[in-house]
Amino acid sequence: MRVTVFGASGVIGQALLPLLAEEHEVVAVSRGPHDTGDGIRWVEADVASGEGVADALEQADVAYYLVHSLGARDFERQDREAARNVSREAARAGVEQIVYLGGLGGGDEHASPHLRSRRETGERLASDGVPVTILRAAMVVGKGSAAFETILGLVKRLPVMITPSWVSTPTQPIALEDIARYLAGVGGNDAAVGEVFDAGGPEVMTYRQMIERIAALLGKRPRIVEVPVLTPALSALWLELVTPVSASVARPLVEGLRNPTVAREERLQRLLPFRLTPFDDAAWRALGGC
Amino acid sequence: MTALHGWEANERVLESGGFESRQRVLLSRLAVETSEAGARWLGVAYWQAVGDFTRGGVRATWRDDGGRLRLLGGATLLGFGPPELRYGDGIVSCRYSIEGGLLALRAGGSVTLAQRSEGEGGEHELSVTVEEYLPSLAARVGAPWWTGALYAKGQSPFHSAVSRRYFELLARGSA
Repeated sequence: MRVTVFGASGVIGQALLPLLAEEHEVVAVSRGPHDTGDGIRWVEADVASGEGVADALEQADVAYYLVHSLGARDFERQDREAARNVSREAARAGVEQIVYLGGLGGGDEHASPHLRSRRETGERLASDGVPVTILRAAMVVGKGSAAFETILGLVKRLPVMITPSWVSTPTQPIALEDIARYLAGVGGNDAAVGEVFDAGGPEVMTYRQMIERIAALLGKRPRIVEVPVLTPALSALWLELVTPVSASVARPLVEGLRNPTVAREERLQRLLPFRLTPFDDAAWRALGGC
Repeated sequence: MTALHGWEANERVLESGGFESRQRVLLSRLAVETSEAGARWLGVAYWQAVGDFTRGGVRATWRDDGGRLRLLGGATLLGFGPPELRYGDGIVSCRYSIEGGLLALRAGGSVTLAQRSEGEGGEHELSVTVEEYLPSLAARVGAPWWTGALYAKGQSPFHSAVSRRYFELLARGSA
């Protein structure tokens, strides 16, 4: 099977490529040049403009879409246009399945722009008739994951945290290795074509609990003070000051904290059964522990 | 969105002095699947409904040993134990024991969010059941009725309204 991966140079793409390369012919797509190797052919394309997308999809059976424009001022519009470009070219190329990693929680009428955009991207990808498989995940726990690095930045730098009440929102983070395994497993899988799956990790926790558990791994005990009046804009500016994540990335993430990001069903676990990585193990690995 | 119908709400005072209330609706398709995730989602969606209905004024916060329903991030209105999840044999439920708070006279009672399935082609029931709850705002036995007005005219209708909101969120599949 020939597989094209958009967003291949990102955190999730990098974890997914070796799994795909074990069984498939892989075309990895990024905006900049990469050395070809390990059975993976790198090509340049820009999903935002559509340039190079048709070439990247030539003879592809399955396309993975792991792109987002988080950090851009008008990320919602950019994500819509990029998804439309890939949807159109995938239909022309005769692609049989698009696999997309979306977000949990985007169906809520009060969903944040970021989560709403993730949902709309999935809808756009399906707009030209190619069946789309959507995996909906909460925070991905892995080195380089923007959400994880934000939390880590807070834990490392602050002995006392003034946090919005949204830190009490429940979430179900999943290990980078596990989401990559799920993504690899649904590609070309007839039972997954056209389906939407919730991809939750093995534990449900609040962001507050997540902060406390990461802190414990680092040997810290931060004091967390919840206040009900901290707005997303203020939170984002504050995050920019104290973490390596820019406000433009932090704000959509912070807004998303209002929404519970918890799996509602377990069909993916039944389709692709394996032991999910406990949060502490995933976090420890992301911290460089092993 | 699946149409909801068959709304019923009732409340009574038990011999023990505890309150029991139940709201339910019927729908033609399942709102959650019969699994641990489905049972957990019944609970998550309920607390989201509380937050939505009060525009964030009342929110649940969670620790490993349970949760607290807090007013403006401060006063604890009610404390709860951890969720007790049940699924199988046509029922999915999430139960929280009530463990105190300003709105509870003392620890005791529970809130259960449940979905009962009538099987293929049948209708399914979503319900919110409060059992053996001792509200601090209700009138004591033998006391004038108006001493319980805050419960009868405030907390009880509020609870029903939240349940309606909750059922709508579940039916829409968007909680």
